[in-house]
Amino acid sequence: MCRGVPQGSSEEVIKMAYGYTGKVLRVDLTEEKTSVEPLNGDWAKEYIGGKGLGARYLFEELKPGTDPLSPENVLSIWTGPLVGTMVPLTSRYAVITKSPLTGTFLDSYAGGYFGPEMKYAGFDAIIIKGKAPKPSYLYVNDGNAEIRDAKNVWGKDMFKTEELLREEVGQKAARIAGIGQAGEKLSRIAGVTSDITRNAGRGGAGAVFGSKNLKAVVAKGSLGVEVPKIDEFAKMAKQMLLKDVVENPDHAGLVTDGTPIIVDMSQDAAILPTNNWHNGQFDGYQGIDSDALKTRVFVRKKACFGCGIACGSWAKVRDGPFKGSSTEGPEYETLGLAGSNCGVRNIEAIVKFAEECDRLGLDTISAGAAVGFAMDLYEKGIITKEDTGGLDLKFGNEEAYAKMPEMIAERKSKIGDLLAEGSLLAARKIGKDTEKLVIHAKGSEYPAYDPRGSIGMALAYATSDRGADHNRAWPVASDAYGDGDPWSTEGKAAICHEEQIMKSYKWSMIYCDFYGVSAENMAMYFTAVTEQPASVDWLNAVGVRVWNLVRAFNVREGFSKKDDTMPDRMESEPLPTGKTEGKTVPRAAFDKMLSEYYQLWGWDDDGKPTKKTLEDAGLGDIVAKLDYLK
Amino acid sequence: MSKGLKAEVEKCTGCQICALVCSATHVGKFNPSESRMNVMDLYPEPGEVRLNYCIQCDEHPCVEACPAEAIKFNDALGIYYVDKEECTGCGMCVEACPHDGCWMDPSESYSIKCDLCGGAPQCVEVCPKGVLKR
Repeated sequence: MCRGVPQGSSEEVIKMAYGYTGKVLRVDLTEEKTSVEPLNGDWAKEYIGGKGLGARYLFEELKPGTDPLSPENVLSIWTGPLVGTMVPLTSRYAVITKSPLTGTFLDSYAGGYFGPEMKYAGFDAIIIKGKAPKPSYLYVNDGNAEIRDAKNVWGKDMFKTEELLREEVGQKAARIAGIGQAGEKLSRIAGVTSDITRNAGRGGAGAVFGSKNLKAVVAKGSLGVEVPKIDEFAKMAKQMLLKDVVENPDHAGLVTDGTPIIVDMSQDAAILPTNNWHNGQFDGYQGIDSDALKTRVFVRKKACFGCGIACGSWAKVRDGPFKGSSTEGPEYETLGLAGSNCGVRNIEAIVKFAEECDRLGLDTISAGAAVGFAMDLYEKGIITKEDTGGLDLKFGNEEAYAKMPEMIAERKSKIGDLLAEGSLLAARKIGKDTEKLVIHAKGSEYPAYDPRGSIGMALAYATSDRGADHNRAWPVASDAYGDGDPWSTEGKAAICHEEQIMKSYKWSMIYCDFYGVSAENMAMYFTAVTEQPASVDWLNAVGVRVWNLVRAFNVREGFSKKDDTMPDRMESEPLPTGKTEGKTVPRAAFDKMLSEYYQLWGWDDDGKPTKKTLEDAGLGDIVAKLDYLK
Repeated sequence: MSKGLKAEVEKCTGCQICALVCSATHVGKFNPSESRMNVMDLYPEPGEVRLNYCIQCDEHPCVEACPAEAIKFNDALGIYYVDKEECTGCGMCVEACPHDGCWMDPSESYSIKCDLCGGAPQCVEVCPKGVLKR
């Protein structure tokens, strides 16, 4: 089975600071070869890990204009220096590549257990190029790597794939990140699934796996991670776990409910996407909110590696047409996009939908949004049963809705095949002015916070580096969910700017979004693991550097102000009920925020980082690589 | 009455923090593979977790199975522990244990099992959900 073993002995690998394995695994699928090289230590100091380091490698190694689904795209999986240690809520991994959904830089994250296992197996990063001549998977184990034949799992869903690959490598506790049928069939809304229910969901990284004939990466490691003065370290981590995680009042809702608690908040603020964004309130919200989850389908709480919160809820349907379906979650975004936005009134149906998405390897945000969009088309008579494979795709028809993940992943029926491309490309193929029904930025479907009741979210979505996203800036917290004015543009650019800096370094250390950790503590943890000095100022400098680097990457791919947009409906279609009744996002308000935002970042009027901005961010060396600065 | 750890496994969320602190305490690094507490997700039902560890059973077949007499009694704690120096790594105890309570270290040179950290089990102190009790 073994067709490639890493070249280069461990002696050649430079000893890095604590926290790093110091090794990058290179995989050339075309040649079916693997090799190990030292991690670039200079870059590690400037970009930490995760998002930052991954962005730097991708910027260097990806030829501009590369088709994301071609063998030339670079697919990388990253850990970071804190991953696998006892620092709470950091043991995630990042999939970094060029997105087939948006054409932008893509960093997509998942919790669960794969990240630490990959690091225990000996690698800070795995960088994959080319395309395997036949379906393959990669097995990494204690510094070794093998490209193996995936013929026994190709065509199978991720539940079955995990089971079979564990047997095949003879490791009951191996951790696996891979794709279901959606990724194999190159759906641009296919994610990478690990631990069955944890997904690096957004942006279509699953299709990049599929385009490379790569089914999965299987990891088993027993090398561990060393830190200096481990007794003191463990004492500190124990203390922090208790005081800063378990007893932290910011985490209370996550401990008791998890993200579903947001459904009621959004319903109250009238920003809960409903029936393809035609309403901000859903009259059936009580059937899909946190109470419904807890009383109707909840089984037990579930945590990711090293997490004392355990925000995840393992859910199982007890009776009715979806009896037996189970999933971890569903999370708020799924309840919004695949719930209210599809007019679905019962949590049991959403559990089924989420389970199907996990099994088949689909992003629940994009898949939910795409189904909501298709329901809108169906109700308007733009598509009919001829297009839907006979499904009566009305809003709220749970039976038809629950079949849609499979239709999309397997590209069954005309609409399934179209939606597999993501909502925007589907609309462009359908024509008939349907593009205006798609709520997205850069082709990435909006997450579940309607900007018509939280104006800053329009800016957050428009300026997110991987297309519309809620994990780069989240101004909704301080306006619709807080005391701020949801319709005032005042300060919204500053919130996006600050949060994008913070998230850039937070994702470079790969903290979980849900750890409300202070910058001071992030610096403290970093020093405790690596013995490298760190401060809040230094972290901010890293954040500024990383966000500018990614922006420069996107500009190099042709993105500029023309792409930092808001869908017309946010301005032209007022919401009908509750606190957002009659509300829109006026174009002038959006433009004002965007222009303030560019100024805060030191970008030109077209949204491009200036030479000085890049140099100040420590990115002087990339200036020569950017045509627009010549 | 068994002197081993007690676990309310239905409260366990599978976070592995016990395994992290255990490996830190016993081998000086973070490495669940070297932990004396093995947290196992039971796929395909990831909601289900199994905790494998030495429960210090009354029968202790591991002690009888060990040809090197390396599993010794700690009078103060009333428990059996593996004397790493005397363990030959034959794996007889692993085969003999009906509870999956001991297993080979990743180096395969000796067997490992819970020794209650000499009386103050770190996993009990750190478990965020209060699953483990002395």
